[in-house]
Amino acid sequence: MSEGSTISGTRTTVREHEGDLVVESAEVVAEDVVVLTLVDPDGDSLPPWTPGAHVDLILTEDLIRQYSLCGDPSDSRTIRVAVLRSPDSRGGSALVHDRLRTGATVRVRGPRNHFPLIASPRYIFIGGGIGITPILPMIAEAEASRADWQLYYGGRSRASMAFLDELTRYGDRVTLVPQDELGLLDLTTILGDPRADTLVYCCGPEPLLAAVEERCATDWPVAALHLERFAAKVSQAPAGGERSFELVLAGSGLTLTVPPDKSVFQVIEEAGVSVLGSCHEGICGTCEQVVLDGEVDHRDSVLSESERAANDAMMVCVSRCSSDRLTLDL
Amino acid sequence: MPPLTSPSARGTNPSSAALPIDCWYALADSASVGRDLLGVRALDRPVLLYRTTDGRAVALEDRCAHRAYPLSLGRLDGDVVRCGLCGFGHAPDGACVAVPSQPQVPLGARVAALPVAERDGLVWVWLGEPGRSVRHRVPELPWLTGDGWGVVGGQREVDAGYLVLHENFADVTQVPFVAPEIAPSVLGGQAPDLTVEVTETTVTLRRTFPPAPLPGWQASLVGAAAGDDYATAHAGFFLSPAAWVDHWDVTGPDGSRARLRFTQLVTPVEAGRSRVLWRVSRDFAVGDASAGTRVAGLFEEYYGRVFTAMETVQAILDRDGPGPEVNVSADVAALRVREIIAAMLAGQRPVRAAQRAAHP
Repeated sequence: MSEGSTISGTRTTVREHEGDLVVESAEVVAEDVVVLTLVDPDGDSLPPWTPGAHVDLILTEDLIRQYSLCGDPSDSRTIRVAVLRSPDSRGGSALVHDRLRTGATVRVRGPRNHFPLIASPRYIFIGGGIGITPILPMIAEAEASRADWQLYYGGRSRASMAFLDELTRYGDRVTLVPQDELGLLDLTTILGDPRADTLVYCCGPEPLLAAVEERCATDWPVAALHLERFAAKVSQAPAGGERSFELVLAGSGLTLTVPPDKSVFQVIEEAGVSVLGSCHEGICGTCEQVVLDGEVDHRDSVLSESERAANDAMMVCVSRCSSDRLTLDL
Repeated sequence: MPPLTSPSARGTNPSSAALPIDCWYALADSASVGRDLLGVRALDRPVLLYRTTDGRAVALEDRCAHRAYPLSLGRLDGDVVRCGLCGFGHAPDGACVAVPSQPQVPLGARVAALPVAERDGLVWVWLGEPGRSVRHRVPELPWLTGDGWGVVGGQREVDAGYLVLHENFADVTQVPFVAPEIAPSVLGGQAPDLTVEVTETTVTLRRTFPPAPLPGWQASLVGAAAGDDYATAHAGFFLSPAAWVDHWDVTGPDGSRARLRFTQLVTPVEAGRSRVLWRVSRDFAVGDASAGTRVAGLFEEYYGRVFTAMETVQAILDRDGPGPEVNVSADVAALRVREIIAAMLAGQRPVRAAQRAAHP
């Protein structure tokens, strides 16, 4: 990411904002959920963000995890993230829980936002488990905008569900569905009244996202549903294995080859052209590039079906090309 | 390496008519808002600014609740604004409180009251959905009023859109061509490496120039000896559609530092027209009145030339359309500004008609 492109001897490097922040408080707010409040060690202002934004916590050199910001965007002094200790993770959440105590330092990159709240007179928010985190600033924004909204928040049990106290102030706009008391979220009822003036925002575990996607596909307007995934969908590598293709970087005037064992991102970086990248799993959206030509084989979890079909942008960390040549505006 | 020639695939077109509404804008400097009524236009709306008897800045829709007449042409009665045409009185919260022709005030008669924040010697106004104002920050610009800074500035309405202006501020290549005698001599040489740092809503560019002589005006004000070379660090900040700031910090051979802060406050008046308040803050020769006069004159001239060039750009965009553009690697900051503004425009909705003004 630090490699630059060179024009007349000038190297231009583009990178995301990154800095060391200090844990001002680490509070367990529900079973296995810790909320970190992070501040700049010198008291400097932190970058502005909007609801749906997330940051990378750089836990070790190759352990980078994305967490949604769940505090107040007007607060320039602190940011807040909530982290679920997840038993099947590769150690990121465990490291956050075990090491990021009050006073600890953590490297933070971003914020960036691939789940922006589009203005609308009406919203349905659906949060599953720790997926409530990006929804929290969204409902505050919807409330400030005097929009009509409902939140359906499901979790294993009340004790496992974070932020219940913060949600009480919204009264009957919020419906809590602890699974051990009430079963799963009833999507047939929640999404049973498709309306052109309503946007649906959902974040949660993959089975919930898939069910909401399926339920909306039948009778909701195409642009109504907004999802955020924090785990990659299962990769769809072709049965015959990966193939190589030609890569043209139009702005840089370079023609390169992407071999089967390398990503487009790797080939761009090795050619000395500066590109942003973060998760390398197709989930954070940082490395999106404009496509000028070629048939993209989308493998990411960021772009919607219609965005994929438009064939004008791609995540170069995981997506490839199904035609012989891919041309990027880079 | 050849430059890129293609219609821009990213972000908004610089001639776009849409205006970002979810943003605090610096509509006036604090000194010009007082007990005289001040009418300004912003985001295609008329805005009245004044100060209450206890000194609080107020922003109201500048149009009487009764008929199409600007309140700014009326007068102040204590804290109540009287329309100069019909005599309707409006309180600082916008409510109509007096009607000369009848004892009762029509129910619900009011003009929109806009959220105001006063900071760093500026009156910032929120023109979007009022409830959203508290969710957004006013940029922090302490060098506009802080101790240790000498500040000069001016204001101009420019026939160029806000995005044309920001792309100009983000363009690190053009200063030496627009104003060669003001620009640091370092700008004429080999362009140094450029680092562009992005967040969801901001862009920062940074570059460090090798030691070189200061431009004549600055050399005399910092007391540089002939032959002294100063290293220059430039940082440019897109803070919001309302503010672009540049830091120019020089360090002399003896380690002495001199800092300049250029603040460009942009308010879209309407599509293709902007008001710019510009300020030049320096931390050298601060108490020297003649230095202030000299700096003010130099930069009045400089900004005049920049804004005239931007008006030419806008006129060509209006006449011949956006056309193809060549982007070079140094344009990454300007392109990122376009993307941020495109995202803002995609997420916003117009303010409800009911809030613009509730006419009886």
